Amino acid sequence: MSVVDVLGGPSWHGKPLPETSPAGTPLAWGWLSGTRSEWGVRAKPSTKGLTMMDIAVGSYAEVPDHPTRRTMAPRGADIDPDVPDMGYLVNDKAHVWAENVSELYEEAVARQWSATRDIPWGEVAELPEELERAVCQVCTMLAEVEMIAADLPAKWMWRMNHDFVEAKMFLATQVMDEARHSEVFRKRALVNGGGLLRARSGTEELLRTILQARSYVQASALMHLLGEGFVLDLFRQGELISPSEVEKRIFRLTMQDEARHVAYGTLHLRYAVEHDPDVAEEVHAALDEGERVLMAFGTQSDLTESLAVLLSGGVDDVEDKGFPLLAELQKKMLTSYLARCERAGLNRLERTQLPLELLGIDREVRVA
Amino acid sequence: MRTESTQRAVQVDDLEFFRDLAGRMNAAPERYEDLGWCDLDLGIVIHRRDQADFRALLRFADYSCVAVTEFAEEDEGIADCYLEGDFDAWAEMVGDIRAHGRATGRQTLSSLVLLGDKIAVRGKDPMGVDRFFRYAQSLQQFFDGAAAGAPVAA
Repeated sequence: MSVVDVLGGPSWHGKPLPETSPAGTPLAWGWLSGTRSEWGVRAKPSTKGLTMMDIAVGSYAEVPDHPTRRTMAPRGADIDPDVPDMGYLVNDKAHVWAENVSELYEEAVARQWSATRDIPWGEVAELPEELERAVCQVCTMLAEVEMIAADLPAKWMWRMNHDFVEAKMFLATQVMDEARHSEVFRKRALVNGGGLLRARSGTEELLRTILQARSYVQASALMHLLGEGFVLDLFRQGELISPSEVEKRIFRLTMQDEARHVAYGTLHLRYAVEHDPDVAEEVHAALDEGERVLMAFGTQSDLTESLAVLLSGGVDDVEDKGFPLLAELQKKMLTSYLARCERAGLNRLERTQLPLELLGIDREVRVA
Repeated sequence: MRTESTQRAVQVDDLEFFRDLAGRMNAAPERYEDLGWCDLDLGIVIHRRDQADFRALLRFADYSCVAVTEFAEEDEGIADCYLEGDFDAWAEMVGDIRAHGRATGRQTLSSLVLLGDKIAVRGKDPMGVDRFFRYAQSLQQFFDGAAAGAPVAA
């Protein structure tokens, strides 16, 4: 203890310290000594700089499974016993955590981009009207759905125990990512003389299902695994169907962000399933309903028609080329989704009502 | 169909080709810092008509490609994911990059692997495959380096 009270007053290494402030307030100097912090623990920067993984040292790396406090005080600090209760509702690590969450947070921060600066807007090309309309229709839908992945984490973040701060930090990056996605698709719709086209009730039905999930685990399954997995594959298609480098860059950059979100969701759900025996059925139930709504959304004519026209490069070959290729890509989407479910520890093959046979997916073949 | 002329024109089944790309990346880290770091072990598998498959492991860390090495078929599993296709498909992709200064149309990496009929991305773990998509822009920029002129040592 370095603050000693030898002659009736505090001191620091022999130097006397004042007992009152100039305003007459008593001074305690307790922070100079006597805290329970791990004084001397030193985090070492890696080649990237000083990452969240680097500072996960000593007891600071320990994330409790069931935090006893409901406070915003930073985990590892010497916390007053009478801190107020913030009313957090998500207090089980299993319901929030993912083993890769710190890595994904750092990656998200490192790979931020600007929809204003990093898209070569000057290269936007004049397109045949049907292609411009198709691009605008897809962008309208994406401008609508992307903000769900901002609204939903924002809805749950303030309900999550602050001891899971790394997960909350990652979700904060997701909120920013999705704001940028809504921005970039809105900008693309408006930059080339087309504008925003049709927004349909089927889309809103999907978004409402996700937003109104009863628990964060169910919400995460619906959003990260189902919704964002679907959108990730849609972005992959977008890169393929892009008529110019402008759209290619848009879809490539949004795809990077979306893949991070899906990576969090997949390992988050795996962690949840492994640590809480009740979670699997809870998630299955949510996905049963989510898949039904997703199918209604994914088969909306505005979406499928515009994608098919972009795939065939116009309306002329849409029947012979566009729709058959779209069906192939839809099959890949469902295969990817089922593989992610399996990676998350959720076997959906036996339970899903998705029309696998219609798309030529064999339920007997294990999805790899 | 591969021809002798295409093989001569674009020698993609060669460590030197990938070391040249790595050299270009490592010589311009500022272009990759803008995109953010990339931590990925990427396997390349090129099927050759008359020879054994060419296999290379590209190890990306931070803003560099820190290693380009060959690996044997029995060592599969060392990479997060693999890009695999016939020689002609790889040559066509690189030819498009050289012709246009960057990959265009359906010759971008993402487009090729989405269709998967020429060059596919695969891996045992979907998380490893998703890494390919998490770093898509960095990887495209890496391969677009093939458009440049004289080789740069890795």
